[in-house]
Amino acid sequence: MAEGTEGTRGPALTQDQGARLADGDWHRVHPLTPVIRSWQLVIFILLVAVQNLGGDVAQGDLPELGRPNPGGRLLAGGGALILLAVLAVLGFAALSWRMTRFRVTADALELHSGVLYRQQRRARLDRLQAVDVVQPLLARVAGLARITLEVAGGSGSAVTLSYLTEAQATSLRNHLLARAAGLHYESDEAPEAPEHGVVEVPAPRLIASLVFSGAAVTLVVAFLAGITAALGFGRMGVVFGAFPFLVGVVSVLWGRFNGGFGFRVATSPDGIRLRHGLLEQRAQTVPPGRVQAVRVRQPLLWRGFDWWSVEVNVAGYGGGGGTDAASPENVLLPVGTRQDAMAVLSLVQPQLTVEPGESPAEVVVAGLDGAGPAHGYLTAPNAARWVDPLAYRRTGARVTREALLIRRGLFVRQFDVVPHARSQSWGLTQGPLQRRLGLVSFQLHSTPGPVTPQVPHLDAHVAAALLADQTERARQARAAAGPERWMEGVSASPTEAAPASPHPPSGPPSDRPSDPSVPAPGTEGSSPA
Amino acid sequence: MTALTPPPGSGDEPFAPHDVTWSRVSPRLALARRVTLTITLGLLAAVVAVVGLVLVGWPWTWLVLLGLAVLGAWGWLLAGWQAAAIGYAERADDLLVRRGVMIRNLVVVPYGRMQYVDVQAGPLDRAFGIAQVQLHTASSGTDASIPGLPPHEAARLRDRLASRGHAQLAGL
Repeated sequence: MAEGTEGTRGPALTQDQGARLADGDWHRVHPLTPVIRSWQLVIFILLVAVQNLGGDVAQGDLPELGRPNPGGRLLAGGGALILLAVLAVLGFAALSWRMTRFRVTADALELHSGVLYRQQRRARLDRLQAVDVVQPLLARVAGLARITLEVAGGSGSAVTLSYLTEAQATSLRNHLLARAAGLHYESDEAPEAPEHGVVEVPAPRLIASLVFSGAAVTLVVAFLAGITAALGFGRMGVVFGAFPFLVGVVSVLWGRFNGGFGFRVATSPDGIRLRHGLLEQRAQTVPPGRVQAVRVRQPLLWRGFDWWSVEVNVAGYGGGGGTDAASPENVLLPVGTRQDAMAVLSLVQPQLTVEPGESPAEVVVAGLDGAGPAHGYLTAPNAARWVDPLAYRRTGARVTREALLIRRGLFVRQFDVVPHARSQSWGLTQGPLQRRLGLVSFQLHSTPGPVTPQVPHLDAHVAAALLADQTERARQARAAAGPERWMEGVSASPTEAAPASPHPPSGPPSDRPSDPSVPAPGTEGSSPA
Repeated sequence: MTALTPPPGSGDEPFAPHDVTWSRVSPRLALARRVTLTITLGLLAAVVAVVGLVLVGWPWTWLVLLGLAVLGAWGWLLAGWQAAAIGYAERADDLLVRRGVMIRNLVVVPYGRMQYVDVQAGPLDRAFGIAQVQLHTASSGTDASIPGLPPHEAARLRDRLASRGHAQLAGL
């Protein structure tokens, strides 16, 4: 993945920049950027043109050679118009390229862009939440990549540099992460942090997980219903009417396959590394302590395989929006065995710090598929059956010293983990019916994303105690929180309370040594002594 | 802060923790809401009266107007209850905001999690001498707004929250 310093595949124009973008000077993005950014629009214009001209040709409107006639002039005029449109699109893209420049200083990434509306954006590196290197298909062919720096300013606050050469993008990513970690390096090139592979998703399992998904079942049912309507009742209109719906379902399935293909989860001192994607490849790095909340989820159809998926809230990624189709950034594991899911969970939340004599794994398993008050879970009282007759027995919440664990859902099992150090605010609500039954719901407010932790219908007094407990634990966690620059405190105070421990002690099942082929000039050893 | 963790099942009321003294908002909030309600319903009633008399006739028009009157009376009462139900408490590390009569709501916002504070006052609010203070965290789910504060109290609260947020600033 790391190409070294020479951008062998990039054109000669960028050779002088090499990989040293982080020198504090202004740089432009790669000159091929306008083509790659506007190719879809160009193809669209050409398609429309070909379709129209093709129609004319098919109707015999093509002028005979050598005989000037109005149709010929029209054709020539149309061709000129198309050429003009394509040139205008490319010209605007080129102008936009010309107006885009960026620089990387010691503390920030600055990006100036915009032709008509100028924009100047400056992202502080110590506020960095995640760094993504993304390669759409065409960019990959051209050896280019775009790099996205997420900061916690809500949706649309990211700084995106598109496109750089792969080598530049990788090197810049390493620099940004090193600076954000508070690491100082002497060499020209930022050191690449060593990686430990943790989980890989085999393609057959991904395909099977999509076959046994709600979307696939919907597709089959809709297909059968359509066939029945068409053959049994002779109503072809139903089939055509359902077509957009089917296209939508298929595109959802395709999106999940495309995003989850070749999914690999790894851990490094820089945080969690994710690589995935079939056509559009994505390499994400989420530094320690940037995951705001985790949800482990099991749809009904996966229960027989004991498969689970893991999604996260990261400030800046956004995503969610209520549907079960999380945006690709939020997926930490598209599908995995129970062991995989627990390994990934332990990357995000290395320590739960349960009571002495208790095993963290048992507490987690009780959260995944358990029910009832075993392992210290607070449960919903019997009165909750009037408002939540099916799932109230499974509802449970457990507070450990490091995190709040919430389990929910009878058919679709959910298990949410929110580190106390990351909870933003929390509260209680009580509707009129709940008041009659003496019930109160507990909510925890996390940053925007697919995980919305809440415990519905607790006993009023239990909820009050949970609120007080959460308040106190979160206060302690805030006081003991690790530094924003996660490498700064590593050598100074290896306290057991640091949530930003670079390597999870409750080990993921991979104890193999780090890949020796990855250049690893001692990131861990070079922290300030 | 030591008394904050009562054992589960103790007699603590969920929306009124025993060690919290609530600050109330100005009763002028109820007045402002009643004026808004009266104007809205009044306009609606006028439209209903004109349209109803022209198109439908007396009995149905009277029925709808009666319905609006009942709605208005209910809203009038509710505005008073709601204003009385709003409370906030500044504790050492967090701000508590509670509100709601039918649906009760309590939210705890640590000062260290605060991203920014809004103070808003519309034209009617200014006429009645009240303002709203709203706390924002990195979560869009945090709904910690305190309406109906006298302007000097709103300004005091804003500055106090800002300074405490700065003193206890935690990362995200």
